[in-house]
Amino acid sequence: MIIKVKNLVKRYGDLIALDHLSLSVNEGEVFGLLGPNGSGKTTAINCILSLLSYDKGEIEIFGQPMTPDAYNIKRDIGIVMQNVAVYNELTVYENIDYFCGLYVQDKKLRKKLVDEAIDFVGLGDFIKFYPKKLSGGLLRRLNIACGIAHKPKLIILDEPTVAVDPQSRNKILEGILELNRQGATVIYTSHYMEEIEQICSRIMIIDKGKAIATGTKDELKAMISMGEKITVETYSLSEEQLSRLRKLPNIASAVYKNQTLEIKSNKGQNNLETILDFIKREGIQFGKIYSEMPTLNDVFLEITGKELRD
Amino acid sequence: MQVFKLCLKVLKKNIPTMLIYIVVFLVVSLIMSSALSKEMQADTLFAQKKSNMAFISEESSPLIDGLKQELSKVANFVELPDEKEALQDALYFRSVSYILRIPEGFTESFMKGENVRLKKTTVPNSYSNTYIDLSINKYLNNARLYVRHIENISQESLVQHLKSDLSVNTSVELKNKSDKVGKHIYANYFFNYMSYSLLSVLILGMTALMLVFYNNDLRRRNACSPLSARSINLQFILASLLFTVITWMIMVAFCILYNWKNSFNLNTVYFMINSLVFAFCGASISFLIGNLVKSANAISAVTNVVTLGLCFISGVFVPLELLGDSVLKVASFTPTYWFVTGNNRIAKLAQFNHSDIEPVLSCMLIQLGFALAFFAVALVINKKRRFQ
Ligand SMILES: Nc1ncnc2c1ncn2[C@@H]1O[C@H](COP(=O)(O)OP(=O)(O)OP(=O)(O)O)[C@@H](O)[C@H]1O
Ligand SMILES: [Mg+2]
Repeated sequence: MIIKVKNLVKRYGDLIALDHLSLSVNEGEVFGLLGPNGSGKTTAINCILSLLSYDKGEIEIFGQPMTPDAYNIKRDIGIVMQNVAVYNELTVYENIDYFCGLYVQDKKLRKKLVDEAIDFVGLGDFIKFYPKKLSGGLLRRLNIACGIAHKPKLIILDEPTVAVDPQSRNKILEGILELNRQGATVIYTSHYMEEIEQICSRIMIIDKGKAIATGTKDELKAMISMGEKITVETYSLSEEQLSRLRKLPNIASAVYKNQTLEIKSNKGQNNLETILDFIKREGIQFGKIYSEMPTLNDVFLEITGKELRD
Repeated sequence: MQVFKLCLKVLKKNIPTMLIYIVVFLVVSLIMSSALSKEMQADTLFAQKKSNMAFISEESSPLIDGLKQELSKVANFVELPDEKEALQDALYFRSVSYILRIPEGFTESFMKGENVRLKKTTVPNSYSNTYIDLSINKYLNNARLYVRHIENISQESLVQHLKSDLSVNTSVELKNKSDKVGKHIYANYFFNYMSYSLLSVLILGMTALMLVFYNNDLRRRNACSPLSARSINLQFILASLLFTVITWMIMVAFCILYNWKNSFNLNTVYFMINSLVFAFCGASISFLIGNLVKSANAISAVTNVVTLGLCFISGVFVPLELLGDSVLKVASFTPTYWFVTGNNRIAKLAQFNHSDIEPVLSCMLIQLGFALAFFAVALVINKKRRFQ
């Protein structure tokens, strides 16, 4: 087990930022920490890294208790902070070299690692730039390069893709998966469920400092009663038709608004077929019709009663 | 030594702002040095000033020739036509400041022992005229003595006597306590003023460095690395000390360059030690300010307030003698005051016995005390900030 956290409690005055949070991360996985703003993701990461003192709990990394002076543990961790932490006085290259140099003394090896990191985030054209001259997205990429250049066993990324355009974001996500394939264990926090779904092999959803669900994305989706979500675009639907629809088996809810019919079905087989039959039978004219599997947002919504996104 | 190198790079980035202070300092001290060296020449050389006078005699006699010769020691003679208007003009335009007229029959009456008078016209309030008056009085009084006591003395022998009497001259020498002391006026000024620039540059550099170094995000990021907090702090301190010493060296080097002739003596060594101690004190003050100031914008404001404030009340710009007692009392709670006092004492050092050095050493010790005190306070604040 790479990381083991037991009953972690962190208070900021009256605010309980982490409420008996427990988690474990296995070797080789990409572990996702998903939660809305202020749910305690960064606080959890900072406690795990011993950057913050906490009120209660136990933290082990690589099987050893984590403390502020556990330098042997720190040597094998790469960290990409939520707040970009680079030196404005150093160029892109110098920044990566500096942070890599905190872990790797050997100059030749370091040069190789730094060059690889630059390739990895695609900053080759900007090595002489100072951070102030970089766009927000490029700056994020520099932040990532600084964190992973030394090829650590465990990589922790705290919302690394904020303000990064979709194309670069995909590149970064692919890169993270590549690092994972090369053997690194990854912890990835985000409030974008798409990202988390895309790369994480195991996910923990947290809210208000509490873990509310953990598992693979399929396991998570299996936890909730909702089956699929079916959307029908139609110009006319009478109240009677709507109430007849609601009486069909396995229908959890049906709402008609703005010429769109949204149906949520419970778990079960042939839900879409039932509805298509109904539409044919009633002679309802429709434009588009599509069905979606539940998302992590639906999971979050069903467990907490609110949307993941604000 | 990653952190050490990082610190140096950050400092290097801030050289332009610091350079402004250094250049201003060097220019001011250059101006000061040339002004002072002129002043010093004027002060140390004593010469009786000769004033211009017109000597108009309506008769000619050995006695009068003797007087004229005597007066040539204190005055330059200007030939003027004996016309009222020309004389008045000459006085008015100051081409002469003294006009002496010897009336006809003066010699005869004088030799008889009668009371006779010379006529003088002068520019008012000219002190050099006093010399002329004195010379004339001395000459005539002596002559009168001879005339009274030696019957029928001839004019020739009278003049002879007077000449030998009056040639007994008092040589006047302006005595400085020691001529060595004057030599250190420049170094004294330079080092006093250096406290201002040194403080400014140190505070600018150190605060800029600390803003970066103690930035919360960056500090956290560094804390994630396997580098121990102790090693990080040690490298930071090392870089700060190097910066302090280099800044000090640059300034001292210029003092020696400007003041080459007077630089190779023990006084300079003590000036250097005193300023090095002060530099450490300045570094410590900067460290404290760096712990208090949290924005780059505040840096230059704080730098100016602190440096100007400290330097004004401590006799850097205004000599200590001119400051009021209450100011001095407040000033004695500042390291700059002890630095300046130390410099002033060093400038007066002519001997280097234990008892001569002691007051200087005590100034340095007090500065060291300040340095430690500031450093300790900074550490406390630093610790508080880290655990917030
Ligand atoms: N230094 C602090 N002092 C007081 N409260 C804090 C502090 N840092 C965080 N908090 C609070 O703790 C809670 C958790 O914050 P945290 O930064 O861990 O959230 P997060 O999940 O990382 O959010 P985001 O997605 O916005 O990064 C929030 O309510 C926040 O206001
Ligand atoms: Mg966060």
